[in-house]
Amino acid sequence: MKVGVFISDCGGLVSKVLDIEDIEKYLRGIDGVKLVEVRDSFSSGEGLERIVRAFKERRIDRAVVTECSPKIAEIRILNRLKEEGVNPYLVEIVDLLGSCILPHRSWPDKAVEKAKVTLLAAVERAKLLEPIESRRFPIEKSALIIGGGLAGINAAIELIDTGFEVTLVEREPFIGGLAARMVRFFPTDDCALCVQAPIYELKGVTKTSRKGLYRSGVSELPGLNIYTNSRVVSVEGEPGNFIVTIEKKPRYVEETKCIGCGECTKVCPVEVPDLFNAKLKSRKAIYINAPNLYPPVYAIDETICKFKECAKCVEVCPTKAIDLDQKAETIKLRVGAIIVATGFEEFNPEVIKEYHYGEYPDVITQSELARMLDPFGPTGGIPIRPSTGEKAKKIVMIQCVGSRDRRYNRYCSGICCMIALKHADMIKKLDPESEVQICYIDIRTTGRMHEDYYERAREQGVIFVKGRPTEIVLNPDSGKPVVIVEDGLTGEILNLEADLVVLSTAFVPSSGSKELAEILGIEVAEDGFFKEYNSKLRPTETKIRGIYICGGATYPKHAPTTALHASSAALKAGKFLRSGEITKDLKVAVVNEELCGDCEFCPVVCPYGAITTVEKEGHVVARVSELRCEGCGICVGTCPKNAIELKHYTDDQILAQIRALATKLDPKEPVVLAICCAECGHCAIESSGIFLIEYPPNVRVMKVPCAGVLKVHHFLEAFNAGVDAIMVVGCKPEGCHYEYGSIKAAQKVAFTKTLLKALGIEPERIEMFQMVHIEGDRFAEAAKLMVERASSLGSIKEMIKI
Amino acid sequence: MIRVSADFAKEVKKRLGGETITNCYQCGTCTSSCPVARVTNRFNPRKLIVQSLRGKRDDVLTGEMIWLCCSCFNCQERCPQRVEIADLIYALRNIAISEGNVPNIYSEFVSALYSEGKLVKVAGFTEKQRENFGLPPLKKPDVEAIRAILAETSFGEVLKVLEGKE
Amino acid sequence: MKSYALFLGCTIPARQLNYEISARKALKALGIDLVDLDGMSCCAPPPIESVAVDASLAVSAYNICLAEEAGLDLLTICSGCFQSLARTNELLKRNSQLRKRVNQILSKIGKEFKGSIEVKHYLKVLHDEVGVEEVRRNVTKQLKNIKAAPFYGCHLLRPSELLKFDDPEKPRILDDLIEALGAKSIDYLDKLKCCGGLLRGYDDDLALELARDKVMKASKAGADCIVTVCPFCFINLDLGQIQIARKYNENYSLPIVHYSELLCLAMGVEAKELSPRSHRVKIDKLLEKIV
Repeated sequence: MKVGVFISDCGGLVSKVLDIEDIEKYLRGIDGVKLVEVRDSFSSGEGLERIVRAFKERRIDRAVVTECSPKIAEIRILNRLKEEGVNPYLVEIVDLLGSCILPHRSWPDKAVEKAKVTLLAAVERAKLLEPIESRRFPIEKSALIIGGGLAGINAAIELIDTGFEVTLVEREPFIGGLAARMVRFFPTDDCALCVQAPIYELKGVTKTSRKGLYRSGVSELPGLNIYTNSRVVSVEGEPGNFIVTIEKKPRYVEETKCIGCGECTKVCPVEVPDLFNAKLKSRKAIYINAPNLYPPVYAIDETICKFKECAKCVEVCPTKAIDLDQKAETIKLRVGAIIVATGFEEFNPEVIKEYHYGEYPDVITQSELARMLDPFGPTGGIPIRPSTGEKAKKIVMIQCVGSRDRRYNRYCSGICCMIALKHADMIKKLDPESEVQICYIDIRTTGRMHEDYYERAREQGVIFVKGRPTEIVLNPDSGKPVVIVEDGLTGEILNLEADLVVLSTAFVPSSGSKELAEILGIEVAEDGFFKEYNSKLRPTETKIRGIYICGGATYPKHAPTTALHASSAALKAGKFLRSGEITKDLKVAVVNEELCGDCEFCPVVCPYGAITTVEKEGHVVARVSELRCEGCGICVGTCPKNAIELKHYTDDQILAQIRALATKLDPKEPVVLAICCAECGHCAIESSGIFLIEYPPNVRVMKVPCAGVLKVHHFLEAFNAGVDAIMVVGCKPEGCHYEYGSIKAAQKVAFTKTLLKALGIEPERIEMFQMVHIEGDRFAEAAKLMVERASSLGSIKEMIKI
Repeated sequence: MIRVSADFAKEVKKRLGGETITNCYQCGTCTSSCPVARVTNRFNPRKLIVQSLRGKRDDVLTGEMIWLCCSCFNCQERCPQRVEIADLIYALRNIAISEGNVPNIYSEFVSALYSEGKLVKVAGFTEKQRENFGLPPLKKPDVEAIRAILAETSFGEVLKVLEGKE
Repeated sequence: MKSYALFLGCTIPARQLNYEISARKALKALGIDLVDLDGMSCCAPPPIESVAVDASLAVSAYNICLAEEAGLDLLTICSGCFQSLARTNELLKRNSQLRKRVNQILSKIGKEFKGSIEVKHYLKVLHDEVGVEEVRRNVTKQLKNIKAAPFYGCHLLRPSELLKFDDPEKPRILDDLIEALGAKSIDYLDKLKCCGGLLRGYDDDLALELARDKVMKASKAGADCIVTVCPFCFINLDLGQIQIARKYNENYSLPIVHYSELLCLAMGVEAKELSPRSHRVKIDKLLEKIV
């Protein structure tokens, strides 16, 4: 190997402290170093060209460059080399100023030693660097959207408009989701059925077409395939090339033939309570939820239909659209990206037994009230008492049923106050004489134009009782439900008799979310909603490339936010699919199939599901998906056989750095090795440099992509090489950039302590620190602590006579 | 001047049974569940808790409210924030008693437990009746053991407080 | 025959021999063997918890230790004792910090809580172990004309998370056991509401107001008796009716009986053997309905 070392003087700051000539001499003395240059800067201009020329003229084949803004310098140097056809991964960048000079201003002599050792480690690592391949992976320019509700439909339209093919899969026979049942949407009080259709331009149809999904023509969009009555059963393949298997249940009615005349329902003998309409009416085995839903085609409920025993509908259908022999279909698709838009549903309040939902017919939920208030609904828009059918004049609503409740769902569902206010408004407008009382803990009207609803409600004479009812009982004389609640503001215990009690229930993830997450390899959070990659700035992405989430599936939200969310997910998916290919530098994990065998730890431990197992010659070996691998190395840290390696951070490379950093130029000074993850760990060190916080130069630093790549044997080798103490610096556990690498590292440090104790070595010689970027001061403190420990515990060489 | 302070809540949190007092968000489910609150406004568990949370130590510890709980646990059962209301009322009573606010009936309980190992003395007549009804003779508690246990707990302090009162 | 260590508590041997008599008789007849251990004290219920929570935990744990040493599960008749002992048992089993603290106290007398036994109430033993069918088989009298208002009280059911006795909102155990006797278990308003028994001694008026509410509602529903499981409920509803009559001028004359008494009567035991004088409200009308 021929290594070139290029030292930037950073405006003279380096040479002020370090004797550059001395450093140069030291460097030339290292085996393999063929070239040493010093100038003001090597990340641009002539300096950069010198590096390029050195490579192209084959005077060097590896380089170490020191720069003061290392991250930016790295990007510039690497890009320039790429342009010139030189593999950029043959260069190691070192921040001499920030790691060896600025933090050690009080120890100028020792800083020199640290600078030398740091450069030595960089050279030793550079010698072992290998070119990393950059590969192109083709991507299918199509997307799958799971869930045909407000979010799914919006995302689909956005993607179609951007030029991609979209398949929309919906498990119900009709799209529209929960939204279709909710009669109106705040804050504009638009009809739900209208709101489903996004404002979309279909060429040839008037731009203002918003009414009812089927009339907007969205079903006729080229490039949009809608599968209803369908579920995703498996997803295989890679990001950009997902192979999706969809199971489509038979509808028994041909979508192209049905004209929606309804003759079939007249003769169908089977009747069941209509769940869509809150069981306020019944429906037949052949049914349609509402006339202007999509598809405007009847469906047969195969759980109750009598099929060939009856077949009356077949006879009367004027277009012969009914096919009782229809079979389930399995559809296999290849798509580039997947968007999960499975939404949420109402929490079932049956479990709150003291409210007697399901037992007292006049206790209902807000979505059931919405069905009553829908003029196209089962009661023609009038709220009624389900027990008697008469009009309900006195209505009591209870908020936070199952929300903000440590026994059921701890979170606030966010939209139920507004739903209650919206419904109260509709009831009052319908009949100003009706009485509406809302029992609440807090009223939350945080969105744009939301407070208007609360003001209006008070004006209309809605009574707000600040109290959460303990139970609902039945008045034995009138048969009406009575809500027992303390009015917190007056201290009185009220018995509120009502015609109708409406529970504002919590909203929970749609059933089947957990199973879907498993199929896709993404996670659900503790509350069961899909987990965002980063809930602050990347709320529609997941930890898997190519899979996005949006809408109520990530947390309950109202229509405006859902639309925003869907657009965001569509944009992310669009960016991913745009160029039809992904180019990736393969700094990935690679399996040595000779050594690998039958333990199956790494597939389980990979946060990205990038490792699968295959049969090979009678035993099971691991295989890494180059596209899915994120290069964290947690698999490497877990493998008991050293059978898997992370390219660009191989065992040899890591150990070479460790041994170099262990070099003691002054035998009296203790050496502390700090191994930091490239995310928060190293950033914390950089910020101590930036903020000019000092710590002793006994601490030598090396970087790994994620602390999860570290193994116990690395630590033991470090001690063996003469390191007196080790500090491992990773991200805070809840913020680890690779899900749980920092936690794994902490576990290994703990285990190493136990091992050291058993070997008779002080366990305090190794410690795990978890911190974030801005905690430069914490790093400095930790560094000082470890140096003190190393000093007081004495040299490791005295302890071990290995 | 009316002040509020979080100190009393902190004090209650440290006590056995009082740990969950700060979970409370004043929804009032406890009060509407309470059989005593339903018949009198001398007792209101939600109010009792908010007074404690606001630091009204004296009002709480010298008032009559803490003694009116009938220990039915309905509030604790129904509380959506899992506040251990009945348990925290015991904790408040403990503090009140340790500071000398002891309703008579509790002094009697204390003496009975300490002297007999039981809360209620069995009358000689009742004990004799046992034979008539075919009941085995009544076994006596190990009073020494009970006293030894009580001495290790804050009960010992309470005895001193009560002695002081006499 | 499964054996249990019987925990009598304070109130029953002092004030309600009728409960002890009927419970012992019934359980024996149904195959449950009861062992009287030495040294058992008060269970340290709410009156003691109110004074010192740590003391009440330690004292109830002490009683559990006695049973652990004998290798027997504890069986209680009084539901107050049940709550106190079962709650302590469960808390100490779950919370190692608390257990350590209590064991530190118990170590002074050479005892240690190990968490090796269960605390049961006799109703659960009858319902789950003996079984409703077996109870039914032992009934020799006709009780079908009796409308019994079951009163679970508070301390069997709550806090349900620790006691796990029955569904706290819709319990069935007592109803099932009453029906096993052939009687009808009726529903009445505020069936599960507390009778106010523990307020006696501090505020008798308030205790009485709550008792009256219960008796009135059970009466209104047509009950021939209220079936209790707790000695405090019994006193407040039974002696309480005498006091209610004086204070409110309302005579309900509603017999209050413990379940074990009704069970014994159903199994053919003579009323006079069950200490009927313990009942302040005469139970003659009830006895007449037992054929």
